[in-house]
Amino acid sequence: MFLYVLRRLFLLIPMLLGLTVIVFAIARLLPGDPVGLAAGPNATPEIIASVAKEFGLDQPIPVQYWNYLTGLVQGDWGVSIFTRRPVFEDVMTYLPATLELVFAALLFAIVVGIPLGLLAAVYRNGPLDYITRTVALGGIAMPRFFLGLLLQLGFAVALDWLPLSGRFPLIESTPEPITGLYTIDALLVGDWYSFTIALQHLALPAFAMSLSPLATIMRMMRASTIEVLQQDFVMTERALGLSSRLILFKYVLKNAMSSTLTVIGLYVSWLLGGTVLVETVFDWPGLGLYATQAILTQDFMPVIGVTLVIATIYLLSMLVVDILYGVFNPKVRYA
Amino acid sequence: MTMIPVNVPKRDQSARMENWSRAFYRFRQSWLSVFGLAIVLLLILLAIFAPVIIPYPEHVLGTTNTAARFLPPSSAAWFGTNALGQDMFSLVLAGSRVSLFSGLAVVIISILVGSFVGAVAGYFGGWIDEILMRFTDLLLTIPSLILAMAVAAALGTGVGNMIIAISITWWPAYARLVRGEVIGKKEEQFITAARALGAGWPRILGLHILPNIMSPIVVKASLDMGFAILTVASLGFVGIGVKAPTPEWGTLLSVARSSMPDYWWTALAPGFAIFLAVLAFNLLGDGLRDVLDPKARR
Repeated sequence: MFLYVLRRLFLLIPMLLGLTVIVFAIARLLPGDPVGLAAGPNATPEIIASVAKEFGLDQPIPVQYWNYLTGLVQGDWGVSIFTRRPVFEDVMTYLPATLELVFAALLFAIVVGIPLGLLAAVYRNGPLDYITRTVALGGIAMPRFFLGLLLQLGFAVALDWLPLSGRFPLIESTPEPITGLYTIDALLVGDWYSFTIALQHLALPAFAMSLSPLATIMRMMRASTIEVLQQDFVMTERALGLSSRLILFKYVLKNAMSSTLTVIGLYVSWLLGGTVLVETVFDWPGLGLYATQAILTQDFMPVIGVTLVIATIYLLSMLVVDILYGVFNPKVRYA
Repeated sequence: MTMIPVNVPKRDQSARMENWSRAFYRFRQSWLSVFGLAIVLLLILLAIFAPVIIPYPEHVLGTTNTAARFLPPSSAAWFGTNALGQDMFSLVLAGSRVSLFSGLAVVIISILVGSFVGAVAGYFGGWIDEILMRFTDLLLTIPSLILAMAVAAALGTGVGNMIIAISITWWPAYARLVRGEVIGKKEEQFITAARALGAGWPRILGLHILPNIMSPIVVKASLDMGFAILTVASLGFVGIGVKAPTPEWGTLLSVARSSMPDYWWTALAPGFAIFLAVLAFNLLGDGLRDVLDPKARR
């Protein structure tokens, strides 16, 4: 098991190296004039040349790539032409906000989706089954940004229960950073007041993001539970007189989890890459907004940095999923 | 080399008809699939006849009417008017052309590129397969929305550039699908027979393998149409992709956001249009999968 994880981690290195090549090539070979944009519309050729020199953009692309790669290993991810701040610092500032959003959305989707999918399969064709299936169909088709707008209209404007946007009120002092996730940080020091505020701000954007994974998890869970319920071992257990609850939660759930796990793993990447939309709606200061800003100003270094961070998290989450497979299914346990 | 004449029996016409009617019968079993098909057909008809139906064609071209700003929905303007006094119904209707066209273009380009790469990789195997598939896998790990946004921004605004940008992130999924299918088919006897008759690889792939693996491609394509429309709208919503005055659902929604919450109706029409289109294509895709993909049938 330990060796397996170690080997998988080692295999990440060539993957990430290949990623840097592709992302760098896309960023550099596309048309566009980042230097001109950064220097401003009235810049003289001399100013443009000096800006290009400052960011190393006057050198040939392979040299630029080598410089970037050697910097990357040392924690120097380049400088944003637009904010003039190191990309690494920027990413570390915005990453916790995005992670908080993604974790909250995923947690909600899992905690609600798995039991609902399981129950829908057990009470197949009952009212609960129809409700979950309808929600599942609608949830996948609903654009996150439109759902976000509707939630704002309903819960922030009409009902005035929750804040319209943002992550924390400007007048309040944010919790002492430990993990950078406001809700967790507040909980760790037992600051219930800050926790409530953070949670109120988190609720709407997290729900807007969670509907699609929730719908898919419910669907997968329902389908695989139905399949497992029809297998012989379930009938054997019933014949042995085991209680329905024990069969369902001890044996069926475990067997039905495998395919649902894959979906959850895939959704980590989908959620991270798609936070852009929800962060735009709710003015959530995360990686998505940062990336959008960088893309609109054709600021390459932040785009490369954000892409690499998200891809790395995705690859790691796939590894976690593969390890969890072994937990739920001893047949694929690794030596 | 002389070709050996082989007498291939023509497939019975009536048997084929029976297959089709059976398939359609199975499709009709689920009223959701029929509902999806109906909405898709309605959307296509609306998009085709939009120039005739649109009540205020001048609004689509950019004419403003400041006297009629932010009128709530009424019989004159079904979905109300926006900040420029333009009829939202006309704009959303015109937007259906942009959305459906871009969605279709993305799916078709992705199928063409992805099928080619996947078919070549699967057919030849070895180092060709290794190189092509490692590249494909790498592209699949990049967050597709951010990649599409970056490419679209670098290429500049416009429907064509946006289609290219999204297609770049979409073809790898088709390459994976087609590769798997080709590997499954290439060892079958009818392929060996075709090879024995002297057929080259383009002929074998194009004439013998591809027609036999069309079902999963069609199913994926119909499911993807909805998500392609959604991605187009997403790019429009974050301000990359199609720019005003070209009416596109995502762009319309992004403009509407600035007049929220007081003038909520400007967001409602384009938002529900996206939702309905994605939902309809998903339902249609599910229905097609039940009919065409026996493995997934329950």
